[in-house]
Formats: sequence, C-alpha cells, structure tokens
Amino acid sequence: DGTPSDATPGIFRSEEVCLAQLFLQSEAAYTCVAELGELGLVQFRDLNPDTSSFQRKFVSEVRRCDEMERKLRFLEREIKKDQIHMLDTGENPDAPQPREMIDLEATFEKLENELREVNQNEETLKKNFSELTELKHILRKTQTFFEEIHRREIPGAVRASPSTSATDREPLIHVDDEAHAPGELFRQIFGYGRRTTDIPNQTGGGDSMQGGGGPDDVIIADPVGDSETLELTGHGAHGASMFANFGFVAGVIQRERIPAFERLLWRACRGNVFLRHSEIDEILNDTATGEPINKSVFIIFFQGDQLKTKVKKICEGFRATLYPCPDTKSERREMSIGVMTRIEDLKTVLGQTQDHRHRVLVAAAKNVRMWLTKVRKIKSIYHTLNLFNIDVTQKCLIAECWCPVEALDRIRMALKRGTHHPMQEESGSTVPSILNRMDTSESPPTYNKTNKYTAGFQNIVDAYGIATYREINPAIYTMISFPFLFAVMFGDMGHGTIMLLAALFLILKEKQLEAARIRDEIFQMFFSGRYLIFLMGAFSIYTGFLYNDIFSKSMNIFGSAWANSLTEKEMKDLTDLNPETPVMLIPEKAYVTSPYPIGVDPVWNLAEANKLSFLNSMKMKSSVILGIGQMTFGLILSYHNHKFFHSDLDIKFMFIPQMLFMSCIFIYLCLQIIAKWLAYSATAGTVFGYFYPGSNCAPSLLIGLINMFMMKSRDAGFVGEDGKTPLWGCSNNLWYPGQSFFETVFVLIALACVPVMLFAKPYYMWKEEQARRAGNGHHQLATAEMVLVIIAVIQVPIMLFVKPLLVWRRDKAEAAARESVRADMNGGDSEAEVVQHEPKTNGGGGGHGHGDGPVSCKGERGGYVQLDMADVMVYQAIHTIEFVLGCISHTASYLRLWALSLAHAQLSDVLWTMVFRNAFAQDGYIGAIATYLLWFAFFFLSIFILVLMEGLSAFLHALRLHWVEFQSKFYGGHGYAFAPFSFEKILEAEREAEEA
Amino acid sequence: MSEFFFNIDHGYLEALVRGFKGGILTQADYANLVQCETLEDLKLHIQSTDYGNFLANEPGAITVGVIDERLKEKLVTEFVHIRNNALEPLATFLDYITYSYMIDNIILLITGTLHQRPISELISKCHPLGSFEQMEAIHIASTPAELYNAVLVDTPLANYFVDCINEQDLDEMNVELIRNTLYKAYLEDFYGFCKQLGGTTAEVMCEILSFEADRRSIIITINSFDTELSKDDREKLYPRCGKLYPEGLAGLARADDYDQVKQVCEYYSDYKALFDGSGNAAGEKTLEDKFFEHEQVKLNVQAYLHQFHFGVFYAFIKLKEQEMRNIIWIAECISQRHRTKIDNYIPIL
Repeated sequence: DGTPSDATPGIFRSEEVCLAQLFLQSEAAYTCVAELGELGLVQFRDLNPDTSSFQRKFVSEVRRCDEMERKLRFLEREIKKDQIHMLDTGENPDAPQPREMIDLEATFEKLENELREVNQNEETLKKNFSELTELKHILRKTQTFFEEIHRREIPGAVRASPSTSATDREPLIHVDDEAHAPGELFRQIFGYGRRTTDIPNQTGGGDSMQGGGGPDDVIIADPVGDSETLELTGHGAHGASMFANFGFVAGVIQRERIPAFERLLWRACRGNVFLRHSEIDEILNDTATGEPINKSVFIIFFQGDQLKTKVKKICEGFRATLYPCPDTKSERREMSIGVMTRIEDLKTVLGQTQDHRHRVLVAAAKNVRMWLTKVRKIKSIYHTLNLFNIDVTQKCLIAECWCPVEALDRIRMALKRGTHHPMQEESGSTVPSILNRMDTSESPPTYNKTNKYTAGFQNIVDAYGIATYREINPAIYTMISFPFLFAVMFGDMGHGTIMLLAALFLILKEKQLEAARIRDEIFQMFFSGRYLIFLMGAFSIYTGFLYNDIFSKSMNIFGSAWANSLTEKEMKDLTDLNPETPVMLIPEKAYVTSPYPIGVDPVWNLAEANKLSFLNSMKMKSSVILGIGQMTFGLILSYHNHKFFHSDLDIKFMFIPQMLFMSCIFIYLCLQIIAKWLAYSATAGTVFGYFYPGSNCAPSLLIGLINMFMMKSRDAGFVGEDGKTPLWGCSNNLWYPGQSFFETVFVLIALACVPVMLFAKPYYMWKEEQARRAGNGHHQLATAEMVLVIIAVIQVPIMLFVKPLLVWRRDKAEAAARESVRADMNGGDSEAEVVQHEPKTNGGGGGHGHGDGPVSCKGERGGYVQLDMADVMVYQAIHTIEFVLGCISHTASYLRLWALSLAHAQLSDVLWTMVFRNAFAQDGYIGAIATYLLWFAFFFLSIFILVLMEGLSAFLHALRLHWVEFQSKFYGGHGYAFAPFSFEKILEAEREAEEA
Repeated sequence: MSEFFFNIDHGYLEALVRGFKGGILTQADYANLVQCETLEDLKLHIQSTDYGNFLANEPGAITVGVIDERLKEKLVTEFVHIRNNALEPLATFLDYITYSYMIDNIILLITGTLHQRPISELISKCHPLGSFEQMEAIHIASTPAELYNAVLVDTPLANYFVDCINEQDLDEMNVELIRNTLYKAYLEDFYGFCKQLGGTTAEVMCEILSFEADRRSIIITINSFDTELSKDDREKLYPRCGKLYPEGLAGLARADDYDQVKQVCEYYSDYKALFDGSGNAAGEKTLEDKFFEHEQVKLNVQAYLHQFHFGVFYAFIKLKEQEMRNIIWIAECISQRHRTKIDNYIPIL
C-alpha cells in the first residue's frame, strides 16, 4: 500500500487522512450527522453520483427546508421593511430534532399567514387611503383650475356675482351672458392649454375650433341632449345649460407619463380635448410595493360621447385613475369634507393595523436569525444524508468519508453522542453506529491545520496549488522567507514602520473589525493578510537598517569608518578651482578604522558618484546568495519528499544529480562571492598565495564564471614577472591555486549530471517493466541488470550505485502487497467484516507478478496502466530541461531582489530631493509654509507610491519567487483540499451569500 | 479596424454576454429536466443550473405561468443591464432587437381587442422586452390610420408602419397583413443597419437576418394557400433582404402549392436540406421546427465563434428565448402529464 505510514509531526506535512465507512442506524443517522456537523472534521463522499438531485431519498425534507427558508426570508424582508432591529446574538443553536422541524414549520406557517393577512388588510386600507388622498388632491387642484380659468375669464364677469369676494369665488365660470359663453370658454381653455387661436367670438350654440387636429368636425351639440356629460358649469343658477356639452374627467396619473399622455390625447382626439395638469407635491406611496411615486392631477375637458369613451380608454391605457368630481363648488366642498373625515378614520384604522403588524414583526425579529440558523442546519444535514447509501436489509445508512486519523477518536465520540442522544431514547436504537477504516488507493484530500496566524501563509501556497497528499507543506517556511524576501526589495525603515503600524492596528482591532463584517474586497484583502503585512513591515525595518536607509536618508549611529583625509589647504585648493569639484576619498588614507559594525556605512549616502555602483554590487551579490540559498533549500526539501514517499529512484537519479549540478556551478559561485568579500580589500597583500596589488585586480566573478564554462586558459596570479606591476586584465586571471583544475572538474560533473537526470530514471522504470514482464526469470534478469548497470556506471561517472537488486526487491514486495486482500480493515472494531469494500480495489487485476497480466506500473487510482515509455521520456526531458535551464534563469530571476530594492531606494530618493527638499531651500515664513505644505505632498506620495504601490509590486515579486523559483524545486501541488462537512462553514457561506 | 477598438466600448458587455451564454442549459441538463416527475422536481433541478434561486421566493405550489414569468423577468433583467451599459452603436443595435417584440406586442393587443378581451389581461401577456409607453392605449384605434396617428407615430416603429396606413377597419386579415408588413420593414431596416455597421457584425448578422427573412417569406407563402390573400399582396409581404431575393421571391410569388415552394427552394442548398428532412409524419420534424433548429442552433451558436461583433447579443437573446420555450414546453408536459411529447424541445448546446 502506497500510503506512507510514518507520520511526521503535524506542521511540516498535511494531516494523515483516511477513508472511513460509517454504518448509521436510520433512526440515529440524523443526530449523528448533526454531531459531525458541529465537529466539522469529516468530508463525506457522494455515494450516489448518478442520481439526480430530485431522485434522492431525503429530497422532500430538503424541500420542506427550502420552504421554511423562503418563509423566513419573507419574514426578514418584512422586518427590514419596518426597520426593526433583528436580534443576532450569534448564538449557535443545536440542529433541531426532526420532530422539532414540524413545530418550526407550524410556527412559520402561522407567522406567514398572519403577516400576509395583515399585509393584505393594510394594502386594502392603504389603497383606500391613497385613493382618498388622490381624491382630496383632485378636489383641491380642480378648484384651482377652475379658479384660474375664471380669473382669466373676462374680468367683468366678477361683477355678475356680487356675492363673491376675491378670496372666495363661488362660481367656477361666471359669465353674464349666456349666449356668449361657450365659445369664449372653449377659446379660453384651449388658448390657455395649447396654442392661442384667434377666433372671433361667436354667439349661439355652435362653435368651431381651430386646434391642431381636425377642427372642423367639432360641432357643439345641442345642450339639452347631452345629459350624460358631467357638467362643467359652475353655478347652477347661472349656467346649467350653458356648458352642458363640455364634459370633463379628472384623475391622477404618474408624473413621468404626463408628456406621452398629453401627446397621445392630442393626437387621438385631434386636439379637441383640453388637458390641464398639476403636480401633487405630497409624495404618495405605491400601494403594492410601498415605493414612493410622484403623481399629478389632471383634468380633461372634452365634448361629446365619442370623445369621452376615447379619453377614458386612453386614461385606462396610461393607468390613470379617474375620480368622480362634482360640478359645483359647494358639492366639491362637501365631498372634500367627507373625504377628509374618511381619511382621518382610515388613518386610525391604518395605524392600528400597522401597530399589530409591528408587534408581530418585533416578536419575530427576536428569533428570526436563530430560526434561520436552525433551518440551515437541518437543510445541510439532509443534504448530507442524501449522499449516503441506503442499506435496505440492515435498516441502516452507509456513508463514506475522509477524516483525519488523528481525529478518529473524536469522531467516534461524536457518533456515540449522536446515537445515544437524549432525544433519541424512545427510538430504541441500541445498535451503535460503526466507523470502519478502509484502505483505498485513491489519494486522500490534503488537510493542513491552520490557525489565524498561519492561514494567510497557507493561502499563499494554496493559491498556487493544493499540496499533494502528505508532501512537504512549504507554508511553514514561507512564513519567514516570504516577508524576508519582500523586505529585501522593500528595505526602508521609514516605510517599514508605516507598514508595521498599519498592520498592528489591524491586529489589535481584529475582534472589532471582524465583528463589523466589512465586506469591502480590498479591505478584506488587507485584513486577512494582516499578520503577513506585520511581518513584512518588521522585516523591512530590519533590512532598512542593514541598508541604512530611512526615507532615503542614512543614520550614523556607530560612527562612519571613513574620515576626510584631505588637509584644509588641499580642500581650499580644490574648492578655489571649482566649488563643485568632487572630492575623492582614497581608501588607503580615508578608511580609518574597522568597518562599520552593522549595515551599510552611512558615508555612502554622501557619495553621489559611486554610491550606486557600490550598493548595486553588494545587493546583486547578496541577491544571488539568497536565491541560491533558497533554491538549495528547496532541493533539500525535495530530498525529504522523496524519502518520505520511499522513492529511492528519485533520490538517486533526481535529487543527487540535481544537487551536484547545483553545487558545482551555483554554490561554487556563492563561495567565490564570499571569498572575494572576505579576502580582497583596498590594500595590497598576498591573497591565496598570489600577490594582490590593489583593488583594480580584484577577481571579476562574472567573467570568471563565463571563462569557467569556456575553459579558457588564463594566467595565474595578478602581477607580472617582477612581482609588482599588475598585469593587463589582471582581474580576469586565476586567483587561487588549482582553480583551473577544480573548475574543469566542476563543469564536467555538472554536464555529466544532465544525462543522468534525463535518462537514468526512465531507464530504471523501463527495467522494472522488463522485470515484471519476464515473470519467473527474476533472478537471472536481476543479475543481467546488475551487469548492465555496472557498464552504465562505468560509462556515466555518476551512476555509481548498485541499485537493481533493491529495485527488484521493492518490486517483489509491491507485488506481494498487491496480491494480499485489500479488505484488511484496521479499524479495530469487531464489525470490521460486515462490509467488504470491494469496488474500489478490483480492477487492479491479479496479473502483476505472474507474468501474464498487463504490463503496468502504478496508476492513478491504484489500477495498473501500461507504462508508456514515450510519456515517461517526454516528462523526464521536460523536467530535466526545466531544472537545468531553470537553475540559470532562476538565479538570474533572483536578481529582481536587487532590482526592486534599487528601484525603491531611487524612488524614495527622488521623492525626497524633488519634493520635500525644495521646502528647505526657502527661508523665513515662506520656508515654514512650504515645509508644511510639501510635507503633505511628500507624506501622501510616500504612502501611495512607495508603501502601497511599491509594496504591492514587491509583494508580487516575492510571491513569484516563492511559487516559481522556490516551489518548483520540490512542490507537486497535485492534491485537493479537505472540505469537511461543518455547520460553521456552511452558515458562514450562507451569511456571506446573504450579504453579497 | 473596428476590432482594435471594440473592447474599449463593448468589451465588458461582450464578456458579460459570453458569460451568460455559458449558462445556457446543456443536453445533460435537459436530460435531467425531462426526468422530472413534478414541477417541484423541475425547480429543484433548475436550482443547480445557472438559473440558481430564481424560483426560491415563490410561495405555494409553482405553476407553469409563474415559471414563465420568472424566466422572462430574468431575461429582461439581463437585457436591461446590458442595454443600460451599452454605448452607441451597440445601444441602437439592442434597440433594434426590442422592435421585433414591440411588433409582436402591438399585434397581440390589436387581435385581443378585436376579440373583446380586457386590455389588462392582454397587457400581462405582452413580452416585457417590447413594452413601450403608449402600448396600453392601443385599443383606442379602430383603423390602421388611427393606430398610426395616435399611437405609433412616436414609437420607433412609425417608419415601418407607413406602408400599412389605410382607412379600412382592423380585422384579422388586416392585422396579419400589418404584422407581416411591419416585420418586412423591420427586417429590411435592421439588415441595412447591420450592413452599415460593417465588419464582423455585418457578416454574422446579415447571415442570420437573411435567413430570418427567407424563413418568413417561405412560411408566408405556405400559409397563404387557400386564403383570400392575393398573390400580389403576398409578394408585397416578402422581406427583400434574404438570399431568395430577387429570383427566389419571384418564384415564391408564383407558387400555388407546397411542392412549388419546395421546387423554388431546391436551388438554394441551405434550404434544400431543410425541406428534404422535414415532413409531417411521426418521427419527422416539421418544417417550422427545422427552420428553428437551423436558425437557433446553427446560426446563433455560430455567432459565438466570431469575436468583436454585436451578433452575440442578438444570438444571446434568441438562444435564451429558445431555451425558455424549451423549459416551458417541458414544464407544460410535466404539469399536464403528457410525457410522450416531452422530448420535442430543441436543444441548444
């Protein structure tokens, strides 16, 4: 069995996970699953993948839950509509018993019905209310319409009714001459509403209009004959018969529909109607939805029956509500009073209804969140039960699940609790629930335990790919290396401090911030990475200290190791000539004491001419060292992976040649760098047995590396025959005894490693196949192999290992393992034999080891698949090429550490000199104000460009270095995450969906 | 050239619509849907597709009507979102799509009014994509001229209507004529618009629209046999932007029976295949279905093979519409316990 048994302690690898089978008594299944949901450590597998969702056993329960959820959502909406605070204590009620579900259903049903009834009542009342309100407005507005018309009427008209005062004009339209009125009125009306038409007043009952449409067909009919039309006339005493022809309708329409309404009226009635409208200032509410809508009162005057039907149809089409409007003022007033009282009455009733509704909702609001949690729990339990197999004969449910081995005891306890649940007694279920460990060839899910501190780092790793089951989890190393590599690129004490403080704030306030449930994506990103940011800040302060860089300035804490070596006279001579002359500090004279104790000497910050070339060389070299260090570490991790998975083949033919390749070229380069740092200085002396005349002869490593590959012959030592004069190009010469020999050997070893990496593993796999195929001839073949391998060993210097015997042995052991019955369940329960889990293990076939089966190697799902030599070769070739070229390109890639660090330092320098320093150039008050203003510019640019933008870029580069350069050395990432059935997670997900 | 700048204006919407298209039900989904025993099952299954919880808040037992309404609502929400975010010329293009729904609505309302149905009942049957402000006032008109002068003159359809203005009373025949004249004018206008847009849009859309035009011509011809429609009138109804124009249409105008229509279409390889495989016998698909299949499945799905063009929007609406028809068909079959014909939907992907 391929599962490694030796369990290394937790943090370095994912948890050991095993497949288990659960036998749950059907009565106890529900409670058991509930307990497991609270525990949250079990991932169930779908045992009926072919059954569609509505054909499963507990589908009706799921539907009932859906229904309950719907009711609760309805309740919640209503509660929110009334702006009642919902009590959310965050308490976690246990999943209710199935029996309780019925109670809940009844409660919700009752609540919903009650609420619906109240709502319906309220809606009717509101409808009445709004109708009355609209009527009230109509009465009020029409009054003004009529009055306006009246006022526009011949001023003399007023005279005719002596009783009317200016404020209270009784008659709507008051004319003194009967015969004169209709035409005039019509003209007035239309002239007002549309366009002025100059029609001479005509006496008599007929008049023709010259509106926009077809004016000629409007004949004012005989007044007496038209009794249906609402009479427009005002005072009965005066003009009962005068305006009998002009009907009008009044109503209310949505304000935005007015223009189209008006246009259509005009067109459809050919301009023979007159529309007046006026906005209702009060905002009315839509009766159905409760949304505020703006409405307008309109009044349409028309004439004749046909037009009336047409107008009414149009009104209907535009959803305008028509209201009866009395003709006379007194009637209107009467009606108005009636309406007002009815409105008052309605208000009282409405208030009572709303009170009732409010009481119901307030009562519900206390529980609604808790109910929702309960229902969601029930639903998730039934969803889970739907995944189970039902054993009809044994009246039990069979589940399969992945669970961490380490938690098995807790799971058993949970099952026990579930079976002997206090509520379960009468069910008489005395048969315990059973958990069986099963063997499987399927790869278990990867379960990395995390806490709030490690979760962020684990996410970084998981974003690249979930670790293969039980391979080394890089998250633990990432925790330090990530912030460190970030800081190498971001080294600045000032910016580091800002970052640290921001993260510290998030960490200290984490409880409050979590409770506030801020859903902003960007905030969430920073918040979930707070510990990472904290470390990044802390490390940045550290690297900033090493770079001696704080907002592009340096601190001279320990006293510089450089001093001015020029005398005053020399200085004077120099500055007299040209005040801008650069002064050169000659190391032999100016370098006074031992080096600056830690970090970069602050004097370099003043060296405008060669500051960069000094820092670049230093940072580049340290980048290479850091990078090669990390890659070598990755290789060592790959060794531990191979060892853990007992893959000797990989250790011998992958790890060792890779390590040799790495050492011979890259680790050698690192050693050279360190040797150069330690041994070569400004002063002349003998170094490694050669006389070293001065810094211009310090060995050039880059050229040296190229020459190493070219195997170019060079002179040894730096000086000529006389032992004094430096040779031309002395920095390219050999600089320690035996260098050319060692380098040749290194290059040869490295080159030799390539074919080993490329061919050795496929060759052995092929050999293994041959051995299998040969069947009985194991021994002879093995000896033959030995001979072959010995020849191979002679030919390729690296293949020194007497492997075939071991390979053959392993092969035999594997064959034996395959043949043994797989059902040896090691669960420890006596019921272990109850179910043999066969389906997973057959298909393996018994052929292997007998020479008659399909030639195969270990396949994905434990079966055997034919070894495809071409595939293996291609894979190996890709892998080798990737590694060999990768070593070079990855080393170069680590130079981004230097490049970003340089960019950061330069940007911060620019910000200081171009922005803030300008303030210091000013004197007096202007200087003070400039300092004050420019400080803000400097500060905000620092935050946004240097901390946020540069920080983001350094973050991404650090991410890349980990994903590509580091993890490619050992990380498989073919696993899948452990997704346990957990109420906590389900509820959280539901809640997030709700908030989104 | 327009491809270079396409994404600046329309990239978001194209991505969005392609995403929506990804949610179109597959053959496997349909296979599951037809297995449903009740509408509740259907609801449960549809929850696992892109439709998600669109039925979750329905109280009580769901009906086919409710499903239809929600489906339309969802489509309209999506369309309105796209329309609201669209820039010219896509905005106009999207408006063109709605015109066909407007025509359908107008015809529905007129026919309904002719049959003395209350307007409120009719309004609820109108497709929400084609609703416009003056729509509900349509029943005031009794002649096409009135219809034009009072209602349609402000709508974008006014131009299409010019050909139908007369003083005859509205009757069934008249309404059919109006419908087809409107469609003809609409298709020709839309075709011209797409042509003028040029590029891939023209390439894709003209293909779809010319097929649509020819389909209409053929169907009009077939349906006109044994009616009072004269051949001259019939010819006036053919949209002149298809592949049949001009020779094919002339042939159709002379046709007297189905076989003659078939004969005319023999000359066009696309249509020949459709005629060959169709029939009214059991197991055979009707010509109408064949046309739908060709238009929906082939042309509209093919529209997604090109990039940087507006055809995807048109295709999305049409595909979605077909999908809605399928779902409703299946739902109807389930609710009426009429399972024998449940497989007669037209799968899209």
